[in-house]
Amino acid sequence: MQPIIDFVPYTGWVYPNETVFEWSILIAVYPYLTGLVAGAFTVSSLYQVFGFERLKPVAHMALLTSLSFMIFVPTPLLLHLGHPERAFNSTITPHLTSAMAMFGFFASFYVALLILEGWFAYRPFIVDQAQKRTGLLGKFYGLLTLGSHDVSENAMRYDRKWIFALAVIGIPAAHGLHGYVGFMYGSLKSREWWSSDLMPVIFLFSAIISGVSLLAVLYVVSCKLRKIAVDLGCLKGLAYTIWAFIMVALVLEGLEFANIVYKGREGVDMIMQYVTGPLLIPYFILQFAVGAIAPFLWLSYMIWRGTSGRALVIGVTTCACLVLFSVFMMRWNVVIGGQEISKTGKGLMSYQLHWGGKEGALVAVLLTMAPLGVLYILTRLFPPWSDDATHAHS
Amino acid sequence: MKKEDTKPTLEARRGFLARLAGAATCAGAAVGAATLGAIPAVSAKTEAPPPGDSFPTKDYDWTKHQWGFGVDATKCIGCLRCVEACKNENNVPRNAHQFRTWVERYVHIEGEEEVRIDSQSDPVNIEASGSEKEFRFANRYKDAKVDKAFFVPKLCNHCTHPSCVQVCPTGATYRTKDGVVLIDHGYCIGCRYCVQACPYGARYFNEEEGVSDKCTWCYHRITKGLQPACVEVCPVGARVFGDQKDKQSPISLFIRNNRVQVLKPEMGNAPNVFYVGIDKEVN
Amino acid sequence: MPKHIFRLLSLILGFLVVAIIAKPFLTVDSFYKFGHYRANSIPEIAAQEPVLQTAAYCKDCHTERHAQWSAGNHKSVTCEICHGPALGHPEKGKLPIPKDAAKLCTLCHEAMPGRPKTQPQIQVAQHSGGQQCTVCHNPHSPKISAALVKVTGNAAAGKQKSADCADCHGAAGVSPNETWPNLAGQNPAYLVRILAAYKSGNQKDVAMTPMAENLSDADIQNLAVFYAGLDCKGPKAGKPTGDAAAGKALSKNCSNCHGETGVGKNPAWPKIAGQQPEYLMNVLKAFKAGLRKDPMMAGVSRGLSDTDIADLAAYYAAQSCQSTK
Repeated sequence: MQPIIDFVPYTGWVYPNETVFEWSILIAVYPYLTGLVAGAFTVSSLYQVFGFERLKPVAHMALLTSLSFMIFVPTPLLLHLGHPERAFNSTITPHLTSAMAMFGFFASFYVALLILEGWFAYRPFIVDQAQKRTGLLGKFYGLLTLGSHDVSENAMRYDRKWIFALAVIGIPAAHGLHGYVGFMYGSLKSREWWSSDLMPVIFLFSAIISGVSLLAVLYVVSCKLRKIAVDLGCLKGLAYTIWAFIMVALVLEGLEFANIVYKGREGVDMIMQYVTGPLLIPYFILQFAVGAIAPFLWLSYMIWRGTSGRALVIGVTTCACLVLFSVFMMRWNVVIGGQEISKTGKGLMSYQLHWGGKEGALVAVLLTMAPLGVLYILTRLFPPWSDDATHAHS
Repeated sequence: MKKEDTKPTLEARRGFLARLAGAATCAGAAVGAATLGAIPAVSAKTEAPPPGDSFPTKDYDWTKHQWGFGVDATKCIGCLRCVEACKNENNVPRNAHQFRTWVERYVHIEGEEEVRIDSQSDPVNIEASGSEKEFRFANRYKDAKVDKAFFVPKLCNHCTHPSCVQVCPTGATYRTKDGVVLIDHGYCIGCRYCVQACPYGARYFNEEEGVSDKCTWCYHRITKGLQPACVEVCPVGARVFGDQKDKQSPISLFIRNNRVQVLKPEMGNAPNVFYVGIDKEVN
Repeated sequence: MPKHIFRLLSLILGFLVVAIIAKPFLTVDSFYKFGHYRANSIPEIAAQEPVLQTAAYCKDCHTERHAQWSAGNHKSVTCEICHGPALGHPEKGKLPIPKDAAKLCTLCHEAMPGRPKTQPQIQVAQHSGGQQCTVCHNPHSPKISAALVKVTGNAAAGKQKSADCADCHGAAGVSPNETWPNLAGQNPAYLVRILAAYKSGNQKDVAMTPMAENLSDADIQNLAVFYAGLDCKGPKAGKPTGDAAAGKALSKNCSNCHGETGVGKNPAWPKIAGQQPEYLMNVLKAFKAGLRKDPMMAGVSRGLSDTDIADLAAYYAAQSCQSTK
């Protein structure tokens, strides 16, 4: 069957080959997922490395969240590739000048790191379950013990060292995992909208706020589902983190845009036309005003007024949702927006988002939701709740 | 449970094991590094001819040529026969949106500040040709007061520092010793990073084959002493091709006898398609 | 070291060792040989079969056509532009002969802003009255030649020589009957060309050939100048068989070369206004039958019926040879 290619409409002048969008919504979903991974891991690190004790209730859920999303991270890429069966070519013969070649290494290293960190954190629990459970589940936990039921103080000392080391390594690893994505865009000189030294840092900081916000939402939801009280100290800790990093993210994104406008390079007219036209709502309204500035102001207010109780829970959860939305818009505005501006600097295209198809909106939504399903299963297998009697380790 | 042992001995044993593990890891790393270094030699097992023989074919030695391309935009009449020939020669998808080479038209209308630019992909021109499979420029400006107008053929610039090669994660696209940037259709994974990276819009993604594609200067022809298809059919000599190593080749003469320029020189890619007669808006 | 740490480290180390050792086995053939790519892909690409064959390929079988083409002004337009790629020809069958020539020709020759002035271009709507290009132009050598004849003769010498011609063409260049053409006032360049053609055998006529064979080049020049200078007088009264009004309608297609009333601008082409009607009819029939040779007239006359020919002859015969159109 003749493959159906979407030739998009355009205004002005674009190169003939540009009327096909090469990178679809899935390629915006991919950095969104890795961003959530990096952000969730940041919460875990804040507890493990920086000693933010008040984040203890969410520390292990952060790990599980990170892992659940990490599993799905390669999926949008594999769905996008013209030859997914050859995907390992970039790992077997990585072209070291290409940021994309680093994906295989960063991703596998990070998956291994997450699994290891989780394993160490849950080892006493695993050993306990291996001894208690029978049947398939018992065998599963048994396998995970690697044949050792040693939970002596000596062993625990090693474990704690490992957890710390992994958490420390995990921070640059997470930065690499998500930073390279930003570098992939920022290092390209062919698109003025992407080409920026700040791009990796912007991606990173918006990743962090998205991951922390995700955890805030998941924490509140899990408390509601488990019918226990939300630990307000923990929630406040998350709120502070979001608040602090939003500031940095706003400054960076603002700087980047300001630089483009100020330097006024060739093609800036088209960028201005684009940003004040088709991108006005997605960029200024949704990504900035609604998704970043509003939550920032609201969080500032709550912090200033010392809001607590139900108002705090509602406020933080809503802000977190807005931030999650804003960060997705940021990925969208970069990936899709960058392609909508023609390389000629004299034309604009308009991305046609389809609901169905291999790279359509439905698949994008599924890929973003599916990790939550995996997370649910993981919380059953490895309960992260610090208040739970079954949770044997901190 | 382990038997309670005297601390120093336990410590000593642990210490020894730890040092052993450390040494083993270091040795493993050393072996790994050595293997990594040896990989190029080992994995280049190939049926290609041993050094001294002609590569890539026995009649063509790539070390003896350095190809270059010239475009004389003062001669182009916008007939689009080059586009047609290229599509025939290279199995380019038969539509009006994916091209290895194309032609742009620049028209200055009297009283207008902005130049009007279109190509054979413009809907008006597609309609004039009658279908997506045929190519023609509509005579849309015949009743207008045209100050200045000209045609510019475009194609892959086969840069000396290609952005596309730099970003390819697998090594599926590369620059040959005779100066041609090629794509290995058997190795490309279809990520389309190269399509994004090219500043000139020369690349496209072939959905049917699942790989990226672009102009190859008809490598299969030039290695047989023929000209690229577009150069062969151009009726007015707007396209020039030749070996820059040969001082009397068409391209060497073209470069020597004209003031030539390249597209987007600020990109730093050092393109190898040289233009004569383009204007300030052409990029 | 606790057991589980030891086992974990062994697992990790084992995996790394396997991965490192496996890499050369997983790497494809010929990779890294010349750089970070699969060297074997280059001969693979170089081995592809060219699709366009170039005009040299057509020469072996289509020798005459190739010769005509390579001597003409379309020699920069390769065969495959109009006929399509020649890969597989003739084994896979014939190559198409374009039916709608105008669609193809106007790709290059339609007057369009942006086309360099050195490119021959036409305003399509006003050029041929809707006729196909191939009616007048041979696509393999489309230039309508016959425009470059030099006229350098001496009228007085021509007058002397014309004594031999007077029996058929009249002493004053006006023919005594309707079959033989008037020569008075005819374009000298045309007369030179046609006499030279009779002499060389490019054009054959049972009466003119032996006459022309006895003429020197100087004679031809002198005769041409002499007759060109004669007064062609008014239209000949006579009763042509055809319908002049119908002929007028048809003459639209002839006007590009012969002018609106048969006088025309190009001195290489004959004036036909006020010409003998029977002569005009015979000549058109001869062109149509291929007995009189002219690539353009052959194309034009192909589509004319006998009635058309009679009508055209009637029309032109009735025109004034002294008009300026």
